[in-house]
Amino acid sequence: MVTNTKEVKGKDICVQRVSPEEKRELAYKDDVCVGCGICAKICPTEAIELGEIGAIERTGVDESKISIDETKCVLCGMCSSPCPVDALDLKLDEKSIKDMAEYPKLIKSAEISDDLCIYCKACETACPRDAITIARILPERSKLVTGEIEIDKDTCISCGICEEMCPADAIEMEHHEPTSSDPTVSSDIKVDKEKCVYCLICRKSCPVDAIKAVCRSCSYGDYDLNPEDTETTGSSFIDEEACVNCGWCQEICPVDAAKVEKAFEGELTINQDKCEACGTCVDICPCNVLSFPEEEFGVQGDKLQADERFCIYCGACENACPVEAIDVKRTAVKHTPTKSKSWEKQLSELKTQT
Amino acid sequence: MPKHIVSGLKYLTAVELIREGLSQKEVAKILEIDRSTVSHYLNGRNLSWNSIEVAEIITKFCPKDFLTLTYALLNDSEKTRVIVKTCSKKSYKGSVEESCIGCGLCVDTCLLNAIVLDDLKARVDSDWCNGCNMCRDVCPTDSIKILEVNNGY
Repeated sequence: MVTNTKEVKGKDICVQRVSPEEKRELAYKDDVCVGCGICAKICPTEAIELGEIGAIERTGVDESKISIDETKCVLCGMCSSPCPVDALDLKLDEKSIKDMAEYPKLIKSAEISDDLCIYCKACETACPRDAITIARILPERSKLVTGEIEIDKDTCISCGICEEMCPADAIEMEHHEPTSSDPTVSSDIKVDKEKCVYCLICRKSCPVDAIKAVCRSCSYGDYDLNPEDTETTGSSFIDEEACVNCGWCQEICPVDAAKVEKAFEGELTINQDKCEACGTCVDICPCNVLSFPEEEFGVQGDKLQADERFCIYCGACENACPVEAIDVKRTAVKHTPTKSKSWEKQLSELKTQT
Repeated sequence: MPKHIVSGLKYLTAVELIREGLSQKEVAKILEIDRSTVSHYLNGRNLSWNSIEVAEIITKFCPKDFLTLTYALLNDSEKTRVIVKTCSKKSYKGSVEESCIGCGLCVDTCLLNAIVLDDLKARVDSDWCNGCNMCRDVCPTDSIKILEVNNGY
């Protein structure tokens, strides 16, 4: 008789069934889980139960967001398929069912086009899951502004004013202490032309007019600038495990380089009469959808507001709300096709019945 | 004693396979015994009639008991399959309803390897099913029906 084994590592759970035919392994990662409870809803054997996620989130208690009863679990994988954040994964002989065509999976994606991206990092800053990394390569400063600079060492009195004034740290002096054999204040003065931006501050501030400098851009304009030299290049990276496809990057991108496809469509309704402004929903929401906007400057408001542009309709806020003030409806669940009638039916039942 | 019962079961299987037209060599290979042993079996030598009687009684157990007992005695999947299938006189047909979720519990349970998953749905291979009903018993969605198709002999 084949039986399941369960292994709990910290808050992560692993249920296994090994037979001579195959090895089935369901792995749950608690740090990825957002507490939406979709797994518990779809489980055909009622093996999964969602915990008190509001309390777990707010107290930081050492408890998993879901529990799996290994005596009820049959390792079918139906929980892993619609998990919006891939916190659950079923592997058959070490291969994830998400890589198998016969198993349906949610149609969701997030990508940043390197052709369009200008590496402004707006998405990196806005991403509520810190899933985006923008690595940028800045243009060389010396190629953006050119000119000429010359210091007349005979006139220079080595006062060091130019060195102190230079905003680009391009001037460096090496002072020599006066001695009886050479009773003058002297120094080596060097201009780093890679750093110099020809702002002419040194020339203007020199008390003895020892510096001759000219900026080519100021004199002739930018005609000799190579457009390629002015470009910031780089690369973007989205951590798929952390990404929840919330759409913040898409909304905030100034050049439409980020594209997000969401698996669920729906509607989020707040019952302001019931809401007691405890803020649990704000804490649990993986997408920064919910907030209490300031009523006046510096004063935290108590009227809950939702920006549905960023909502993935996972329903975690509804689960966490202690006074049932939030209602999340799912009207569409987009997934790849499956020939299994039972999977089709269970997935379609994730839509809110009306 | 278990050894003798196994010999009895192999004897019954060898006789039946020869009747089905297999050569002694083929039978020896399938049952992993010497060809001379097959020959002895067929001549009624080197085997007590008691062993054969006990084996015959076992083959007439209900399909589940016959299968599980044989598997327990042999502890070998392939030989269990051959012996049980050859000595079972009845045919069965399994049907799987659309409510099947493709969990594969039946696949892992079936000692005769008669079930496979096709597009997240179990399919029972009637050629191998011996009607033990263990798949039906473990199915979490009650999706499997096993029916006897004729009474044979």
